[in-house]
Order: sequence, then C-alpha cells, then structure tokens
Amino acid sequence: MIGFVVRRLVAAVPTLIAVLTLVFVIVRIVPGDPALVILGDQATPEAIAALRARLGLDRPLHEQYLDFLLASLTGDFGTSLVTGRPILSEVAGVLPHTLDLTAAAMLIGVVIGVPVGIWAALHRNRAIDVAARILSLLGLSFPVFVSGIFLLLLFALHWRLFPVIGNANLSDPADRLHKLVLPAITLGLVMAAYITRVTRSAMLQVLSEDFIRTARAKGVPWRAVVWKHGLRNALIPVVTVVGLYVGILIGNSVLTEIVFNRPGLGKIIVGALNQRDYSMLQGLMVIYCFLIVVVNLITDLTYGLIDPRVKHA
Amino acid sequence: MRLRAARLAGAAVLGIAAFGATASAQPRTTLTVGMAAQDVGRLDPHFAVSTIDRVAVAWMFNGLVRFKPGSINPAEIEPDLAERWEASADGRTWTFFLRRGVQFHGGFGEVTAEDVAFSLRKAAQPSTSAFSGDFRAFEAVEVVDPYTVRIRLRENVPSLLGLVTNYAGGYIVSKRAVEQKGDAFVRAPVGSGPFAFASVTPNQSLELAAHEGYFRGAPQIKRISYRFIPSDASRDLAFQNRELDINYGRAQTAWIERTQRLPNVIVDVFEPAELAILNINTRQPPFDDIRVRRAVAHAIDRSELVRWRGEAVAREGQSLVPRGYLGFTADVPLPGFDQARARALLAEAGHPNGFTVRVIHTQLPEMLSAMQVVQQQLRRVGITLDLQVVEHATFHQQIRQDLSPLVYYAAARFPVADIYLTQFYHGRSIVKTPTAVTNFSHCSMADAEIDAARIETDPEKQLALWAAAQRKLVEAVCGVPLFETMLVFARHESVDYGYELKGSMSLGPLITEATRFR
Repeated sequence: MIGFVVRRLVAAVPTLIAVLTLVFVIVRIVPGDPALVILGDQATPEAIAALRARLGLDRPLHEQYLDFLLASLTGDFGTSLVTGRPILSEVAGVLPHTLDLTAAAMLIGVVIGVPVGIWAALHRNRAIDVAARILSLLGLSFPVFVSGIFLLLLFALHWRLFPVIGNANLSDPADRLHKLVLPAITLGLVMAAYITRVTRSAMLQVLSEDFIRTARAKGVPWRAVVWKHGLRNALIPVVTVVGLYVGILIGNSVLTEIVFNRPGLGKIIVGALNQRDYSMLQGLMVIYCFLIVVVNLITDLTYGLIDPRVKHA
Repeated sequence: MRLRAARLAGAAVLGIAAFGATASAQPRTTLTVGMAAQDVGRLDPHFAVSTIDRVAVAWMFNGLVRFKPGSINPAEIEPDLAERWEASADGRTWTFFLRRGVQFHGGFGEVTAEDVAFSLRKAAQPSTSAFSGDFRAFEAVEVVDPYTVRIRLRENVPSLLGLVTNYAGGYIVSKRAVEQKGDAFVRAPVGSGPFAFASVTPNQSLELAAHEGYFRGAPQIKRISYRFIPSDASRDLAFQNRELDINYGRAQTAWIERTQRLPNVIVDVFEPAELAILNINTRQPPFDDIRVRRAVAHAIDRSELVRWRGEAVAREGQSLVPRGYLGFTADVPLPGFDQARARALLAEAGHPNGFTVRVIHTQLPEMLSAMQVVQQQLRRVGITLDLQVVEHATFHQQIRQDLSPLVYYAAARFPVADIYLTQFYHGRSIVKTPTAVTNFSHCSMADAEIDAARIETDPEKQLALWAAAQRKLVEAVCGVPLFETMLVFARHESVDYGYELKGSMSLGPLITEATRFR
C-alpha cells in the first residue's frame, strides 16, 4: 500500500514538470504585460521597463524557466507579481475554503445522487425514473450563477437565514459551516444530478448481468442482490466519475465562489490570468496539479476498498 | 420515518442558519464597503493605479495638501500635512511648512521633512512609482529643516499643488517603514491618514483600523472592512441585505433608479467623470484622409449615446478634454451629427459604398456595449467596424502596439487640461515611441500650445493656449468625444460621510475622521 502510494507520487513528478513547462510557456505567449497591469494606463515605457527589470521579467526566458522550475520543486513559489504577497500564504488562505466547498458538494452529490440513481434504476421507465431523469437533467442544465442567485434571493434576502457574503472566518467553525450551506447546495445539486445519471446507468448495466440473475435464482433476497452484488459492482464507474469531478471542482468552482463571494482557488486562478500574474499562475498550477494527483490517488485506493480484485501491486 | 429524517435535516439547516446569524452580528462602528473587484493590488500608494487601490489608499495616506473632502475642484485645495506654503515669484520654487506632531501609523514616528522628501523622490522614480511621469519637472526636493521642505522645478507646471495633493504620487509614506519593510511595504503600508492598514485576506477583504492618533482627531468609524465582491448581482444583494453599508454602483440609470427605490438608501453620483473618446489614428489609411475622419465624427450621435447610457450618469462629450477640468473649453468646432454629410464626405474621399475596418476592443462589458453602439452608428453611414474583441490586458497591450486604427478609450485624469492633452494628444506620448503614453491618434499639431500652456504663468494666457490646442485637435479630428460617465456609489442613510460628496479624486467616497453612523 505505502509502496503503491510512493510509486504514484514519484510517477506524478514528470507530469508535474510537463505541466509546469506548459504553464510557463503559455502564460508568456498570451498577450498582455504584467508590468502594464501593475503600473496602469498612464505608465511610460521607461517605467514599464524599470518595473520589468525589478520583477526579473527582462531576463532571458531560459533563466526564468530554470529558476522557476528549481524553486517550484523545492516548494518556493515566490511572491505575486501584482500584490507582492507570498504565493504560498495566498493559497493557504483560500485552500481551506476550496476544500470545504469541494468536500461538502461531493458529500451532497453522493448522498443524493447515489440513492436516487439506484432508485431510478430499480424503477426503470416508471414515474420515479422519469422524474429522476428530468430532475437530473435540470440540475445539469441550470448554471450555478442562476441557481446560486435564486438561493440567495430566497434564503438570504427573503428569509434572512444565510448571509450573501460568504467569506467565512476559518477559525470559527459555526461561521464556516453557516456560510458553506448555500454554495455547497448549489454545487452539490449539480454533482448530485451528474452522479444520479452515472449511478442509474451503471446499476442498469449491472442488474442485467448474469450473476444478478443467478443470485436471484438462488433465492438471494432482492435487497441483498441490489446492495451486495449490484451496487458494489456499479460503484466503480461512480467512484471514477466522482474522482474526476472532484478534481474539476477544485479549480472550476469559480462561478460558485463569485456568486457567493467565497474565496477560492478557482477565483485566484482567474484573477491571476486576468492580471497576467505569471508567478501566481505558475505557483497555483503546481499546487493544483498536486491536488489532482492526490485526488486520483485517493480514487485509486477507493477502488481497492470497493473491489478487492483490484490490486495495488 | 422519512418525514422525521426530512424534519431533522430541515432543523439542522435552520439551526446552522440561526447559529451563524448570531455569530456574524457586527458592532456599528465597523463600516463595510463593497467593491467590484477581486482583490487589492499593491498597497504602496505610488503603485495604486486601479480604482480599488485608489479608493483604499486615500483612507490611509495624506498629501502635503488635499482636495477639500467631497470636491475635486483644484481651487479648493487646502492644507493637509503642510499647514502653509510659499511659492517664489517665478513659480519654480515652492516651500512647504509641515504641521508638527503628525504621527504615522503603528509607531513609525512623526511625519517630518525627511519623509516628505523621501516620498516625493520615490514618487518621481520610474522603478518605485507608477506616477513618475507626473514629476518630470521636479529638479530637487530639499529638506530645509525637520518641518520645512523645498521643491525646486526645472520649469513651471500647471498645478504644483496638484502634484503634492492626496492623489496619485502625492501621498506621503513613512521613510522608516519603507526602508524597514522593504518589499513587504506593498502589502502592509504605513501612512498617516485616518485609517491604518490592519490586514488583508486574499480575495476577501482589506481591513483597516482607526488611527486613534490622527491629527484631525480620532475617527468616529473604528474599523473599515473593504470587501472584494466582483459579482454585481451578489454585491447588490449584499447591500440590499444590509451586509454592506456602502456599495460600488453601476453607472446605469436603471441601476440607479432600482437602488433608489430601496428603503433608506442614498445614491451618490459624483465627479470626476470619465470621458470616452473614439481616438482615430491619423496616419493610417483610410483615416489619414481628414474627410474620412470628419465622416466618422458626423456619424456619431452623442445624444443617442447619452440616452443609451442614461442621463442620470452620462452627459455629452464637448471637447477632447473632460468638462470641468481647468482649461476645458466647449468653444471648439465639433462636427455635429449629420449622416448625409458623413456619407457625402465618404463619397468625396473615394468610399461611396463605405468600408470595413478591423478594430481591437476589450471584452469588458461596459466598454464593449458602448463600442457596439458606436459600431451601429457608424454602420448607418457605411463604415463597418469588424470588432476584434480581446481580453482586457491584451487590449491594453495591443492598442499600445498601434494595432487598432480606432481606439475607444475612457479615462479621468487630474482635473487640469494639461494632463489630458499631454497624455492623449502630445507628440511625445504617441504610442510605440520611447516616450509613449496614450496618444493613439499620432496627432502632434498642438504640441506648441500644450507646451507653452504648461509653463505659462499668466492664467488667462494659459487658458487661451489650452483652448487653442483643443480647437486644433478637434479640427483635425484626432478623436471624437463621445460621452462622459460619472461615478456612482450607494449607501444606507445611516452612513454620514461628514461632507457633501460631489467629487472624489480617489474615485470612491473618502472616509474621514468625521464619517459616522447616524
């Protein structure tokens, strides 16, 4: 097990270097000058050149690349070009918010999506199944900036149960939970819709397998057939989808973060891109890649828990 | 069983809501301001170029002099850190006498002439300031004694007081803090204003604490929470929900009317207005033909633009300098809206069927929608704009690379004509040159008047020179003034700024020691 984890982490290093190289090249190919962003529209070429020199942006690209690569691999991400704040502390400040939201959305998604998916599969083409399919389609097609605003109007403005500004105080668990509810529901419902569809189709496929028929023929109670034989086998694709989705959520929950005024990794990535904050973008990408690797690792380990036939060796 | 589970879940959510609501109650000495931005940038005032940064540094720093709170009239500039000043007869030597006992935040000591000289020298250095270009005329800043500073100029400037006011490069920083903190100063600055930097949480808020030792008296507001909320809809909901006391508004009549309908809310519409100009590259075909430029000018219907933007926040541009600036004149030969004349001019210039031109423009919604109205107006006379919509930072870089023959640009500057004319229409500021700023038209025919006005000491002659420059530039159709848009902020009636907000050079309401909750 430990050997498997170590091997996976080591195998991630080349991927990480490839991603870092891509990020380094791409942010420099995109037009737009961070010095101009920092100095504003009245800046003279002299001032822009002076700032570029101060930020080290006038150095040869290969020097910048090597410095960046070495620093990244040693965990030194430097400071933001735009705010001058250390990148690690910026990320550390928002990462708990992102992880809170991702975990809560995942929880809501799984708690709603898996049972509804199973239920729909067991009642194929009946009213329950049709309703589940329609609702999941609605969940997938409703953009979070619409459902989020709708929830805010209802729960924040009308009933005044939750605040509109969702930047929680991390040291206050009650505040943290309070401000997590609406964004987690918004994002969780989308995830639930997604998981419902995947679970339903996986269950339908498994339930039509020979071993299910055999189990029924042997007189195994229907409940046991569904939970022990059906669900266990159907969960593999569900876990794959959840793992992929969680990876996407970490960086892509930016719309939810904006609507609910929550800090988060996605919001910082978009901001850094808009402001051509090279160092911030590079640092964020390293951290983001690392998180994706960890999520994939957890997904792989979960396979083993669900299905003992999956070996980690 | 299921019903009980549902009830339990509902009770849990309500419980969380109630518990959190109790936990988030705030005392009324904290002023919460919502801003349409993702984060602050560098909090060194000499790098504060964006609206969000300008608003915040104005609460933390002083200048030698200041605009009277609520005003942007240079004639109303009053003492700030300097209690008085003298100018030599030729206007090239200025001596400022500082107040005694003014303290910097955080125990960084008294504001002295050393700090003032250090700050102004820093503001004049391209490597340490975004506003170094404004201080080109500075020859030396000398410390006469701990409370006296002398500024010597190479040549006269239209408003020396404007350069040392509480605006742009005029803010005074603590020399000791800058030297001691080094690069960290940009994230934890030290000033002498009514509010001191307390903390910044990335993507969330900037927190400021009252400077109890402020020389005008301890602020009545004890804390400012400056919240970064980029989503207009969410910010408006938060304001409506009274989670914000002050809200950055949208310069749209519909928004103003909707916000004014909220109970106990005041919407402030104030100066400086941003003048939007359609700058025309006079060197690039087909716009190198003045008949084509005049056709563009005749095709523009400013009144339609103002109706579209909303009369509560917009007014017609009348010259290539915004209204109200010292040196502005409406006495310019501005071509009127006349589509028939525009078509005739195009035919005369060899374009009877019009033409198509590629124009680079930003994706920022407010600027894009304005340009789309201009696009429609020009299409009516046969000029088709093929808009290449790019991301905002790309737009700024590409227009400076001279890649767009027409450049829509909206800006507010220090309210003296010299700044606007120099940055947008002086030969020295032509884009893609070593001294470039934002001259996209390549016009330089008014350089002599602009230069002469800058050093002219007779106010009447100076005004005449600025007027002559505007007439020349308008006549050559270097740009077509479109409309001016005012700034908009909303507040709950409980917030009393302590002055009447008619203008603010920091582009947001000044929070002073007199600002309070009613």
